[in-house]
Amino acid sequence: MERYTLKDLVAMLHSRSISSHEILEMYMQRISDHDTSLNCYITLNKDAAFEKSIKADRLIESGDQLPLSGIPYAGKDIFCTQGIKTTCGSKMLENFIPPYDATVISNLDNQGAILIGKTNMDEFAMGSSNETSYFGPSYNPWDLARSPGGSSGGSAVAVAAGLAPIALGTDTGGSIRQPAAFTGITGLKPSYGRCSRFGMVAFASSLDQAGILALTAEDTAILLEFMAGFDPLDSTSVEKDVPRYSELLNSSIRGKTVGIPKEFFDEGLDADSEKVFFEAIKVYESLGVHFKDISLPHLNLSVPVYYVVAPAECSSNLARYDGIRFGYRHHKTGDLDDFYLTNRQIGFGAEVKRRIITGTYVLSTGYYDAYYLKAQKVRQLISQDFKQAFQDIDAVMGPTTQTPAFKIGEKIDDPVTMYMNDIYTIAANLAGLPAISHPCGLVQGLPFGLQIIAPHFAETELLKLTHLFQQETDWHQKQPPNLNKV
Amino acid sequence: MTIKKSQIAYISSLSKLKMEDIEIDNFTHQISDILEMIQQLEKVNTDDIEPMAHPLSMKQRLRVDLVTEENQREFYQENAVEFEEGFYKVPKVIE
Repeated sequence: MERYTLKDLVAMLHSRSISSHEILEMYMQRISDHDTSLNCYITLNKDAAFEKSIKADRLIESGDQLPLSGIPYAGKDIFCTQGIKTTCGSKMLENFIPPYDATVISNLDNQGAILIGKTNMDEFAMGSSNETSYFGPSYNPWDLARSPGGSSGGSAVAVAAGLAPIALGTDTGGSIRQPAAFTGITGLKPSYGRCSRFGMVAFASSLDQAGILALTAEDTAILLEFMAGFDPLDSTSVEKDVPRYSELLNSSIRGKTVGIPKEFFDEGLDADSEKVFFEAIKVYESLGVHFKDISLPHLNLSVPVYYVVAPAECSSNLARYDGIRFGYRHHKTGDLDDFYLTNRQIGFGAEVKRRIITGTYVLSTGYYDAYYLKAQKVRQLISQDFKQAFQDIDAVMGPTTQTPAFKIGEKIDDPVTMYMNDIYTIAANLAGLPAISHPCGLVQGLPFGLQIIAPHFAETELLKLTHLFQQETDWHQKQPPNLNKV
Repeated sequence: MTIKKSQIAYISSLSKLKMEDIEIDNFTHQISDILEMIQQLEKVNTDDIEPMAHPLSMKQRLRVDLVTEENQREFYQENAVEFEEGFYKVPKVIE
């Protein structure tokens, strides 16, 4: 099965070698053939998508097409889509049909892109394996016994398995980069404030950011141009011009200096993975990148800081789910208090409850200073480490994860072990920095990811480095070996 | 245990989450492990460090106080399980 990039599809549409309707038919057929095994979609937007493809074909015929006319994409089921169910992977929102679109969805819609479906995810984006989804896990196309990572697991699987050319995800602590690494694709978490959060179901508002899962850096650059930008509806979106990323990809990276923090190699990194990572560094060296050993002394405190800050913000954000105006409502309850208690008991899964309780605890009287305030101070130290480091270097590189994809069921019963999964990715969220993961080799036949972190709003650097690496290597073209049998 | 079973029960009632006894037991163990992991932070010297609540230091943007949206009550109510004559229904509050 051939996987097409966004760029391929645009060229094919423009040369009229295929119509948008035919592209849609191809993806819908693939979904119907393979999604029973992969479970990467929660809801398909079939009828509306076909209708849009007919309109797109007419526009292309008349020469009035928009930049993304007729191009299909998948969206994580955390983005509100008017008239299309948005479940956030939860029973709580199983029947929720948003009355409006998330800004990033309307931005792509305005450029002619066609949403084909909403992808599976960990419940409320809380999880690193896609196993907390109320709709069951999504499965890694490289090995169905393994997790595709999470929380944007469904988006990663859809792209890796060729069931969508490109997909939107969100990243609060690694939820785009870790699944991209586990499935052998490219995943970008832009700077905090780069893409609007309006209409994105909130988990931890000071960390959440919308981003992209794609086959190449080039596709990521094209989509980001249209997705990013200031939005008056999101008070944290930043008023800053969006560069033409796709036109800047080929400028030289010769002479760039990249830091490799020693803290990434302290413990836990699998030996084969470390080897694969340093092989990739050699490729960058051959492209003229200089490397420097650096230290980010507070990096290893990212996980504890995150598991104070994220649950605290989650406990506050998820207080809105009471079952009255929207969300799960049990048919039979007692008084008002029992009504709230029962709706939330049945509507939320275990991981969400664990985080609400942890968050409520760290914010409660007597514990606020010891936990929440302390974590905010250490968050400052982590952010300062990066600021300091970026005075002498253009970017930071390291592995995205400690191991390739783990088995489904392996970590789900032990929250702390599961949380440690995001040890390399969380710091970028705490500091609000842009970060990308791209495939850099295979470890025991499974894809492995390399992560690059850059200063605020330096997405161009990430995309350039990744693009030039992808010109030299073919790791990003490696497909799951048994895809046709899935 | 870093946290007691009674504390988990109390916090769950504050969070409006009904829980079975076995769930409270599990959470007591698991959240104790989580808090233990978090306690690494105690060792860090944070004297004179400004707490960071947000990744960007920016001012709150305010808009002009004009009506920009029409009320779409009925449209929004389509997501509610029970409503009547423009009102959301909940269990009786006042006897």
